[in-house]
Amino acid sequence: QGTQVKDVIIKPDAPSSLLLDKHGDYIAAYGSKKDDYEYTLSEYLRMSGIYWGLTVMDLMSQLPRMNRQEIIDFIKACQHDCGGISASIGHDPHLLYTLSAVQILCLYDSVDALDVDRVVEYVKGLQQEDGSFAGDKWEIDTRFSFCAVATLALLGKMDTINVDKAVEFVLSCMNFDGGFGCRPGSESHAGQIYCCTGFLSLTGQLHQLNADLLGWWLCERQLPSGGLNGRPEKLPDVCYSWWVLASLKIIGRIHWIDKAKLRTFILACQDEETGGFADRPGDMLQVDPFHTLFGVAGLSLLGDEQIKAVNPVLCMPEDVLQRIGLQPDLLS
Amino acid sequence: MAESEEEVDVLVQRVVKDITNAFKRNPNIDEIGVIPCPEARCNRSPIVLVENKLGVESWCVKFLLPYVHNKLLLYRQRKHWLDREALVDITCTLLLLNPDFTTAWNVRKELLQCGVLNPEKDLYLGQLALTKFPKSPETWIHRRWVLQQILDQFLAVSHNKTQEQQGEAEQPNADSSRQLSDHLTRTLHQEMRVCSDAACRYPSNYNAWSHRIWVLQHMAKGNGKVFHDELSSTRLWVSMHVSDHSGFHYRQFLLKELITEHYQTSASATINGSSQHWSSTLPSSGPHQHSCSQTNGELSGAEAANEDDRQLSFTTVLQLFQQEIELCSDLIQSFPGHETLWSHRRHVFYLLNQWRREHQCSSRGDNNSIHLNDCDPGMSEVSPQSYAGREESVNGQNHASEPMELDRVSLPNPHDSKRLKRGVLLPGTPTLTSEHSFVNSILDSCCNPEQRRFAVAYKKWLDTVTGLQS
Repeated sequence: QGTQVKDVIIKPDAPSSLLLDKHGDYIAAYGSKKDDYEYTLSEYLRMSGIYWGLTVMDLMSQLPRMNRQEIIDFIKACQHDCGGISASIGHDPHLLYTLSAVQILCLYDSVDALDVDRVVEYVKGLQQEDGSFAGDKWEIDTRFSFCAVATLALLGKMDTINVDKAVEFVLSCMNFDGGFGCRPGSESHAGQIYCCTGFLSLTGQLHQLNADLLGWWLCERQLPSGGLNGRPEKLPDVCYSWWVLASLKIIGRIHWIDKAKLRTFILACQDEETGGFADRPGDMLQVDPFHTLFGVAGLSLLGDEQIKAVNPVLCMPEDVLQRIGLQPDLLS
Repeated sequence: MAESEEEVDVLVQRVVKDITNAFKRNPNIDEIGVIPCPEARCNRSPIVLVENKLGVESWCVKFLLPYVHNKLLLYRQRKHWLDREALVDITCTLLLLNPDFTTAWNVRKELLQCGVLNPEKDLYLGQLALTKFPKSPETWIHRRWVLQQILDQFLAVSHNKTQEQQGEAEQPNADSSRQLSDHLTRTLHQEMRVCSDAACRYPSNYNAWSHRIWVLQHMAKGNGKVFHDELSSTRLWVSMHVSDHSGFHYRQFLLKELITEHYQTSASATINGSSQHWSSTLPSSGPHQHSCSQTNGELSGAEAANEDDRQLSFTTVLQLFQQEIELCSDLIQSFPGHETLWSHRRHVFYLLNQWRREHQCSSRGDNNSIHLNDCDPGMSEVSPQSYAGREESVNGQNHASEPMELDRVSLPNPHDSKRLKRGVLLPGTPTLTSEHSFVNSILDSCCNPEQRRFAVAYKKWLDTVTGLQS
């Protein structure tokens, strides 16, 4: 009769208080101590890695510790002739890293470091006949629909694409359970759900969702440990504290989650020695900037006052979006 | 140990060559891996080939990867020239070590496009990478691009052949067509194997299963047999992987395609005839739409003539559902406490419901008032009570659970006999009532707390989500 539920057990000695200074130290030093091999392995997503690091630093009010000019110069060197931006110097451009670059420049209020018109042309050129967006060459995924509208929304240029068609495609990916997959007919997945609800928020189409149905699916992601998974019978992962929680916030059903238990779970993912967050509590914690951002952002959504307010649609500090004048819809 | 730049250069070039030669020596390499080996053995290559397994000793990886990585980027920035052969070898080495390096796959796309590389090579390389990195998103993405290239090629070739041989005898055209379609079939089955292997290597492998769906959507459209075969061949697999939500979702996808397929195929079989097969090879990068657009209740001559065909189809469809629910029940009882199995039940029952609803619509031609007003059970119609035990009202209305239309069998209805003939009310077909019985039997007999929790949740789901469609 033992429980078979895939879950973790949080040990009594797991961290239970927020170690913001430790996390700041971890991010500030990240990259400088990495040996060639590991850093090279992740270079293909470097721009997103920088976005994760800078955003979490800003949320912890420690952004000045990062090297602003070096990063802006780096981004400039990553914009290609086609307008798209690559993950790192010499890599090919892609919509994912175009969004990350624009998000970073918004944090630094330096969007003019880019040729904005060309970025817009690049994004526009990726829209397909059925309204979907390719990532670069041809691959279609609802993630890219989100990247496209988020990029354009931050630049104030959403009117350059066919929004109606884009909406039509995303809605065609809605499943019977209220969730979304990567393409029509694909399995519902919390990450894709986040992208689609974010997309619908940015395009003013949240009313097209079935908020109760989707909210139900989302709150079923919470496990006995308090952590959230991304699909039935997957282990909890702190990044889902973001994808699931932000989605619930957008559709106005964040109160359907046990917040206290989730907070306990997220805090238990911290590494007290090195700083940073790992994917789940355990003995062999492997922290990284990705899980660190989503752990901190999740805590912010849960109301932790030591952290700046985070916008659930764009995963950026609210004060940055206020400065830009972007306030995506949320359901109440 | 190699330390100086020149020594690293020499070492790496040698290793890249060793890898290339290993593939030449053994074209049947089927798995790659890193061999834990902290130090180089005197003058021995770090590349190890045993049976069909290719290993790279770990000590050299930390030199190898950054070196070839940077070399490729210098090429990409036009700071350093690499000839085609070098590009092929270097990208191969890189992608076996780091298959998420998108830019390396893109270099190979260009080589493929100018004819230097055979698409089959990239399918093979991807297959190998997946033995070590079964989730690798970029590997699956590149794979779809390659398959699309292959599909486009076939389409171009078959189109040309048709045009060339317009005035000639049928025979040569049919032969080459068959060869092409055989090749496609082989490619399709190979993809199923690659997906299956990757699914075995990582539980609930979203990327592998969504790729599998993509392949069927693009390479097997309208080919009911493939879907039937897939349903058969995955039955055992899912029974041995009862936590694999993606595996069960795949079966939901197959069922959905089959019921759409059955419904449309019979009515159009006489029209399309042998061209049916070619329609399955038409590539499409657009979303695969499921619609019941042909069934708007108008009885054409062709439809009336195919009445019997459709009747057979309906029974088959119901049998499919019955079998799936039975499989689900068996597994739920054998393996208590698996959310995936209950989630599968929801999907299957929902599909069955939706299909019955659409079926009822098409048999219209009458003004029977108990039929649904709106044929399309679109998502926007469903507005269940909130979960988590709260009794909030939705949209200001209290939604009490209602039994479904189909349970009101006793109502006088001149079309009842017609519906019976179509097997809609076949005994054994899951209904809301029988589902509630099933849940109650689980709750009565089982003490696994998780099983009870999922059973209760299913009960609630039945009441709210399905009971409200009217």
